[in-house]
Amino acid sequence: MQTKNIKTIFLKELKDTLRDRRTMIFAFLMPVLMMPVIMIGILKLQVSAVSDIRKEKQVVVVEGFDRLPAELQARFESHDSLTIKLSTEYPGEDLKQEVTSGRIPVFMSVPERFSQSLDLESQTDIEVYYDGAEDRSSVAYEKIRRVLTNHREGVVTSRVLKRNLPEELLTPYNILDIDLAPPAKQGARFFAMLIPYFIVLTCFLGAMSPATDLGAGEKERGTIETLLVAPATRGEFVIGKYMVVLLTSVSAGILSLTSMALSFKYFANSKEFIDLKNMMNVQIGFESIALILMVVLPLAGIFAAITLAVSIFAKSAKEAQGYLGMLNFMLVFPAFVSMIPGMKISMQTALIPVINTSLIIKSVLSEPDAINWGLVLVAFFATFAVAAACLVFCKKWFEREEVLFRM
Amino acid sequence: MIETKDLCKNFKDKKRGEVRAVDHVTFRCKPGEVFGLLGPNGAGKTTTLRIISTALKPSSGTAVINGVDVVTDPQGVRRQIGFLSGNTGLYGRLTAKEMVAYFGRLYGMDESKIEKRTNELFTLLDMNTFANVRNEKLSTGMKQKVSIVRSVLHDPPVMVFDEPTSGLDVMSSRTIVDFIKTCRDSGKCVIFSTHIMSEAMRLCDRVAIIHNGRIYREGTVNDLLVQTGMNNLEDAFIKIVEG
Repeated sequence: MQTKNIKTIFLKELKDTLRDRRTMIFAFLMPVLMMPVIMIGILKLQVSAVSDIRKEKQVVVVEGFDRLPAELQARFESHDSLTIKLSTEYPGEDLKQEVTSGRIPVFMSVPERFSQSLDLESQTDIEVYYDGAEDRSSVAYEKIRRVLTNHREGVVTSRVLKRNLPEELLTPYNILDIDLAPPAKQGARFFAMLIPYFIVLTCFLGAMSPATDLGAGEKERGTIETLLVAPATRGEFVIGKYMVVLLTSVSAGILSLTSMALSFKYFANSKEFIDLKNMMNVQIGFESIALILMVVLPLAGIFAAITLAVSIFAKSAKEAQGYLGMLNFMLVFPAFVSMIPGMKISMQTALIPVINTSLIIKSVLSEPDAINWGLVLVAFFATFAVAAACLVFCKKWFEREEVLFRM
Repeated sequence: MIETKDLCKNFKDKKRGEVRAVDHVTFRCKPGEVFGLLGPNGAGKTTTLRIISTALKPSSGTAVINGVDVVTDPQGVRRQIGFLSGNTGLYGRLTAKEMVAYFGRLYGMDESKIEKRTNELFTLLDMNTFANVRNEKLSTGMKQKVSIVRSVLHDPPVMVFDEPTSGLDVMSSRTIVDFIKTCRDSGKCVIFSTHIMSEAMRLCDRVAIIHNGRIYREGTVNDLLVQTGMNNLEDAFIKIVEG
């Protein structure tokens, strides 16, 4: 093997790849722009959508509103996000049906002699119809339920007091819930679960796009024959191409990490995202990035070898993309382990590529002070060994005539 | 000089099992001559040429190119050969000049020599107007010229053409045919495969009739016509293959 040939091939493929708009979008633009936008966007939407509905006013249609005791009527009427409408405003309509169809959010039916029943201390029912599959309806229902429960507790308390019984009778014990995690850690935990998956995914996408072009692309363009009769060995071609794919894969992973770190920093200080501030309080320093790079590098090595081998086997870029799409699912999916609450890196998981990378990134982000260096090294060497095996396979694969001339 | 000795190539086929695509092919092609491999699609022409140019390894037998053996020293053979086929493509995102220089480097030429040869050939083929244009923006004729320069930049003594005019229009075909003649006139050993009999008649000094992987007859076009008593190569071909 001649380094001169490898260098020639590497430089040519790099130039070719950097001029490829599709690769640029997948490997660089996507991770840099899309990832932070998608993640923060989803979060923002989720948080604001629910709180918006809470702030919004919902209509409650009530049958027999005047049967409620005056105090309860007042509570409903003064509620700042419920609008009470009387069923008499909807003559001849099936109001339960209107709830199902979504025209009105909630319908409440007060039985006759409701107030009297309360005064007599007998039991009665109040019916609230809502659509549990609808956010708006559910939120309105919760508001009504809160009003009713508060009122009911008041009724019970007054009954107890009337009988000269101690008020403590009503609450045998209090539940005191105290979350000991500092707000920063809570936020870090949320993102520490999400980020590993995105980094593994961007690494794969960063390998997939150039690999498609450098392997199947040669067949599609009709350049493979010319390449094979040129005086460089198959091995030199594999190494030259491999290094380009590896480089884009690693760059994609690191770019997505840094762009996420920077955008979190930026957004966490902006006014609009004040309610997300705690969630985005992830500290990603140089040390963390170096550590993450150490586990991402061998993983990219695996991705580069596999995507290149698959791509050179395929007859066309389209076929290669089909296979790689499937592989994407199989290889990247295990990175979801980071989303399992409480899942931490262990000796067993450190030995499995993808899973080890994902869990180590998670621990670097969520507990930067408690990194188990022994396991990081185990993960590095385990992944490195698999990457080396994949590269050897890829080289052998490139030497097979039935692969190269599968057209 | 190209010399093949009992060249065989077997392929595994899912439906048909082991298939022999090239069956004891032996021939000789001298410098300054155009040697034509003549046969229908699937006759074994491309496979033979791929073995000669070391893209494929022979199952048995060998070929010696300018004194270098394809089995024992494929790397050495590659430097002796310029290869061009009808469906040769280009790297679209490289310019004509970059593409040519890439192959020059792979063939072990130094930068000053690449520069000198490129300028020479680009001027000869009237390519200077699009030397720095990306290949994807070139017309078919321009692309063909880039392929030509790529194949002879290292000035190889042997040229291999695998159905070089297939899929080309009249003008581009003419460029290739002229190029083949130039190669022959400059003393190169030229081997050329085609299924177009008229092309073979115009261009080849000697031809070999190949069918089902075997060479049926070898000689000058005139020899074949005389031997078969026909007045065109197409009829002669049918007679030889069916006879």
